[in-house]
Amino acid sequence: MPVFANPLGLVALLGIPAVLAIHFLQRKARELPVSTLFLLDHTRREAASGRRFERLIPSIPLWMQLLAVLLLAWLLAEPRYRKSGSIQRVAIVMDSSASMSVFKNEALARLMKQLPELQGAATEIQLTVLESAPNRPRLHAGSSIEELEAALDKWRPRDGPIDPTQALRLARSLVSRDGTVLYLTDTPAGPLPFEARLLAVGKPMANAGFTGVSFATEEGALVWRALVKNHSAKAIERTWSVLTKTGSTQPRPLYLEPGALVTLQAAFPKDAENVRLVLSPDRFPLDDVLPLVAPKPKPLVLFAATSPAFAGLAEKLLRALDAAESSKDAASADLSIASYNPLDPALPSGNTIVFVEDETRTGAWLKGGIVAEAHPLMDGLNWQSLLARETIQLDRQPTDTVLLWQDKRPLIFLRESNGIRQLHFNFDPTLSNAEKQPAFIVLLHRFAESIRAEKIAGVCENLETGQPLTVTAAPGIPLSVTAADASGTPFPKSTILDPQSAISDPGFLTIRQGDKTLLTAAVHFADPREADFSACASSDPEEMGSTAAFERHTRPDPLWRVWMLVLLAALMVSWKFTSRSLQTA
Amino acid sequence: MDLPALQLAHTAALVAAARLRLPLRSHTWKGQAGEFTGSGTGSSLDFQDHRAYSPGDDPRHINWQAYARTGTYTMKLFREEVRPVVDLILDASESMFFEERKAARTAELFYFITESCAVAGASLTIHAVRGDGSAQLDPAALRTHRWLETARALPLTDPAIAPDLAKVPLRSNAIRVFLSDLLFAGDPEPVFRHLGQRHGSIVILSPWLEAEARPDWSGNYEFIDPERHSRHPHRIEPATLRQYLEAYTNHFALWKNAARRHQAALARIPAEEELVTALFREAVPARALESA
Repeated sequence: MPVFANPLGLVALLGIPAVLAIHFLQRKARELPVSTLFLLDHTRREAASGRRFERLIPSIPLWMQLLAVLLLAWLLAEPRYRKSGSIQRVAIVMDSSASMSVFKNEALARLMKQLPELQGAATEIQLTVLESAPNRPRLHAGSSIEELEAALDKWRPRDGPIDPTQALRLARSLVSRDGTVLYLTDTPAGPLPFEARLLAVGKPMANAGFTGVSFATEEGALVWRALVKNHSAKAIERTWSVLTKTGSTQPRPLYLEPGALVTLQAAFPKDAENVRLVLSPDRFPLDDVLPLVAPKPKPLVLFAATSPAFAGLAEKLLRALDAAESSKDAASADLSIASYNPLDPALPSGNTIVFVEDETRTGAWLKGGIVAEAHPLMDGLNWQSLLARETIQLDRQPTDTVLLWQDKRPLIFLRESNGIRQLHFNFDPTLSNAEKQPAFIVLLHRFAESIRAEKIAGVCENLETGQPLTVTAAPGIPLSVTAADASGTPFPKSTILDPQSAISDPGFLTIRQGDKTLLTAAVHFADPREADFSACASSDPEEMGSTAAFERHTRPDPLWRVWMLVLLAALMVSWKFTSRSLQTA
Repeated sequence: MDLPALQLAHTAALVAAARLRLPLRSHTWKGQAGEFTGSGTGSSLDFQDHRAYSPGDDPRHINWQAYARTGTYTMKLFREEVRPVVDLILDASESMFFEERKAARTAELFYFITESCAVAGASLTIHAVRGDGSAQLDPAALRTHRWLETARALPLTDPAIAPDLAKVPLRSNAIRVFLSDLLFAGDPEPVFRHLGQRHGSIVILSPWLEAEARPDWSGNYEFIDPERHSRHPHRIEPATLRQYLEAYTNHFALWKNAARRHQAALARIPAEEELVTALFREAVPARALESA
């Protein structure tokens, strides 16, 4: 079956009706009164009469001209034949942003419709389907359209906005220069790199949904505050209600002005399970539900029974830290605050913040430049206004990590061994302006939170979909992850649940280690960029110069010279008969 | 044809009648007294013979000089002068009038014959035949030029059939002038037999068109039958045209042969030429007419 390099050449077939029309007009019967009809009846009747079309049949110029038109159309259309075994490689990058979930079916239909064009003249198409999110496994690789449909049917886009450049680069490298890269998205934005073609399937639509939640304690009661945003340019009326495992509240109307951000709040129902806020549904359901759990951070037990000089500082720190508890037992505390006294140099063995306590209080101001080392605890902190006096110094070990220098004196260093972290302040904060330094306060908080993060304890959190998780667990014991959707229906066991990140759909997540529950989380979708469909648009892939690919997959008609000669012969025969008939006339 | 055209044809016929006439003198006539020599004896000035007197003879024709010489009554016999008899049969079919020039030539010939008869003092009877219909035309209609309307108004069942001359009453010993284009199918023999009955002499004047004799047809035509007004699609190829010309020639060859057999004068008068010229060129050699 030939394919045409220039299908527009087939327009020349319009010459057929043109030729027929010309012949019909030329052969249009002239009306003539004749008194000798009985003599005409003596001639051969079959040659002298007949229907108009039948009278065209014996016209040799007509047939020659029709043949010429056919041959001309054939030659102009540049017929080519497919080479056996030719393969067109096509890499499709699917925009894995969550907004694509709305247009998924349309996207698949448009893609299937586009495949024949992508295959072009090749006898086979080799498909590779990637997600725009980097480091994801391929959705599909092969030539089977059915398998492609099955793979894409299972595909569930849940990511945020992702720059497809990396995926397009990978796609281009997979199909080489001769292949085709297609980026399927709902939000076209600018020209694509790597000669990728754009297939946009979105369209602007109104949407409103939850964009976040926070908790506060008011009058001893836990109160949730949820933000609802209208992402569209027109007002929306919705209803909202609170659902639990045992019941729900009456739906309440919610009127949202264009672009409005509304806060809903209520007391968190005590001892309720599967608590969730639900908006009346729309086309984008991900942000219509907000699962909730009462947040409960890991408790941090602080032992602050140290020198009275630092009691005030310890008390401030205790108040400032979330879920911090004071303890009189240093052995069971998560974090201790200790002062270093050269007369009694013994320090707690656990996680400790160590200050120098210099009772002489006569040291001179330290001089020299203050330099902070690059360390996560010190990131972004400004210590230049720190004034500290010369004091006795802590015993620094070679393995300690100095965080802050003044001249050649380490002011702060970190000691880590066997999972124990100790933050040493090699100066007396009470003889300095450290307490007035934001960097000092932040550093103490960072250190305390790092201790809390390393603590193996249960925590209740409200997370966003796909949010990375940091779960501290005991080594050697596997974690078990269970999850359920917002209504509490567990996800299938076949679903691979990753303890490194939250589930991608709104719901509830639990991570256990043995009998111990490490994380109880409610996961909600709260990406306003994906919930805003105002930039969605639709477009077909623009035609790319595929002449090289077309010629690579096909070979020209070997008889085109013959057709050319036949065309010339037909024209000459037609011309000869036409001129003869003119002379006869 | 309208009245001016008929008047114009009449004028042309008058001019032609001054120079040509029907071959009345080559015919031996019987009947009423007139200007033409009859077959019997009469009272004309033309001496014919002598014979012996028999009782009852007109004594004015006794040859007294012979009686003086011989003493016997001898009668001088003079040729009889009679009025010739002409039956004009006009083929009033549509084919005679569908084309302007042919209609004009038909009218000219019609007027020529009538005027020629009038000049010769011949007894003229005019019959119009159209298909199976026929009627005798009133000679008075010639003066008012209403003859054509009368002829064309003849009732007929099938306009395409050949003129039926059998219904036309023909007088004996008359010249039968048949004015027709002869464009109808069929054997001419019955026509000649009918026209030649009762000692009739036959003169056929047949107007024709160059377009009929040598048409330049090529391609597709919707031929319109002037008789039936029906349309006939034809494609004329050169071979078809050749066959037509052959059929046309054969048709009139058939008529000429029949005319020769029946000693009839058949003259085909072209419509495109001037009347007198055409008559001189075609009718006189064919002895259908003679110079006045």
